[in-house]
Amino acid sequence: MKLIDSIKKDFNTMTLVLIPVAIAINVVIGQIVVLLRLPVYLDSIGTVLVGAICGPWAGALTGTLSNIIWGLLIDPNAFPWFPVALFIGFVSGWCAHFGLFRTWWGVVITGFLVAITAALVSTPIAVYLYGGITASGSSFITAFLLQTGRDLVSAVLSTNFLVEPVDKIATALLAYAIIRGLSRRYLMRFPRADNVMPKKA
Amino acid sequence: MAERLSFYLERNSPLHRLNPTTKLVVAFTLILVAFLGRGLFLPSLLFLLILLPLSFVGQVGREFLRTTLNLLLPLFAFLFVMQSLFYPGGKTVLFGFWIFAVKLEGVRFAFLTATRVLVMVSSFLLLLLTTHPGVLLLDLTQRGLPASVAYILASTLQIIPQMQAKAATILDAQRSRGLDTSGSLGRRIRALLPLVGPLVFGSLVDVEERAIAIEARGFRSSGPKTSLIEIEDRPLERALRWLCLLALILAVGSWWLWP
Repeated sequence: MKLIDSIKKDFNTMTLVLIPVAIAINVVIGQIVVLLRLPVYLDSIGTVLVGAICGPWAGALTGTLSNIIWGLLIDPNAFPWFPVALFIGFVSGWCAHFGLFRTWWGVVITGFLVAITAALVSTPIAVYLYGGITASGSSFITAFLLQTGRDLVSAVLSTNFLVEPVDKIATALLAYAIIRGLSRRYLMRFPRADNVMPKKA
Repeated sequence: MAERLSFYLERNSPLHRLNPTTKLVVAFTLILVAFLGRGLFLPSLLFLLILLPLSFVGQVGREFLRTTLNLLLPLFAFLFVMQSLFYPGGKTVLFGFWIFAVKLEGVRFAFLTATRVLVMVSSFLLLLLTTHPGVLLLDLTQRGLPASVAYILASTLQIIPQMQAKAATILDAQRSRGLDTSGSLGRRIRALLPLVGPLVFGSLVDVEERAIAIEARGFRSSGPKTSLIEIEDRPLERALRWLCLLALILAVGSWWLWP
């Protein structure tokens, strides 16, 4: 079956060993960003990295497990958000498959697409579980939009569309910077290294 | 940064002796019932009558309460303020000040949402406080969780504290070389790369060596693997898990059974 083969292809031993490191990168950089008081999350760099060089399925798994680990170690509030992380990983892998990780502007496009997907997927979760309010600054924007008479769903959706792109584009560019910093020999060990290699003439 | 690996606290309690899957099933059941069941006060009852007493049975009562409050109090404060004032469709005004009006529907919605989130977070927290992550993983693996997923979870739990220590070292090293981590936003953004760069590349170098090491130890071989630890599963617990399923069906069915 083509789908099973596509999934299997993503996972060789290097993938399995990379994923814990990628998750750890997510957690630790996410914490450094809080330390530096930057207005972004940057907690999906590892997920995007795995998506790009190991494939969409590996990226999806990385995102999901990353959320679960975050919930296990830091804040159980994170558990219900795993579909968002899943799609971040999947969309990154998908975009890389189409060669968007070969140039910096392709990566910006990827970041943008990931942001849109994240906004779309996180909105129903926020609305259903939390009534649209999470303890972040973006909730003020939601409140303002609610006050102007919009319904809950479109208010939360609009909020997420403002906040996500900056974070996700920065995430994608940082993942790209990491890939560019790795040697060709090292990258070749990963299943989808050709996503990031220049196309042969 | 967290000193402990996870929330787990080692105690000798009946809860600790339960099979991990039982605890997992009970936690999920409580959460699903809280979100799918009827009744404004159902989630609060679940918390007060089931979760809170159970935490004391498990001898983790104090940590349970303290951590729950820490995690949720900011969120709840925010939630109540936002929803009471801005809930769409709120008509009945309770009281007002300046340009703001607190509406009953908003308060009710905030209460329901807050108690549901309370059940969700505290269920997971109780599970995590009373279950050693290694034992939980082992049990899930024996029930069919792929070994690779179990490896990833176990390995991540080990790597994260290592990486946090590395990050702290790099932070100190860069600071002692003049890196400015306070100051303007631009400075702080530029501080990110010298912190993140060494950390990421240092960790990625390990990946190849580790892959070779586990392959050499037969990690990818198929076939059953024997475990050092044995996990107990009593018939009583199996019955309890089926009861949970029944309770869940009842909770969902209550929407149709009661007019």
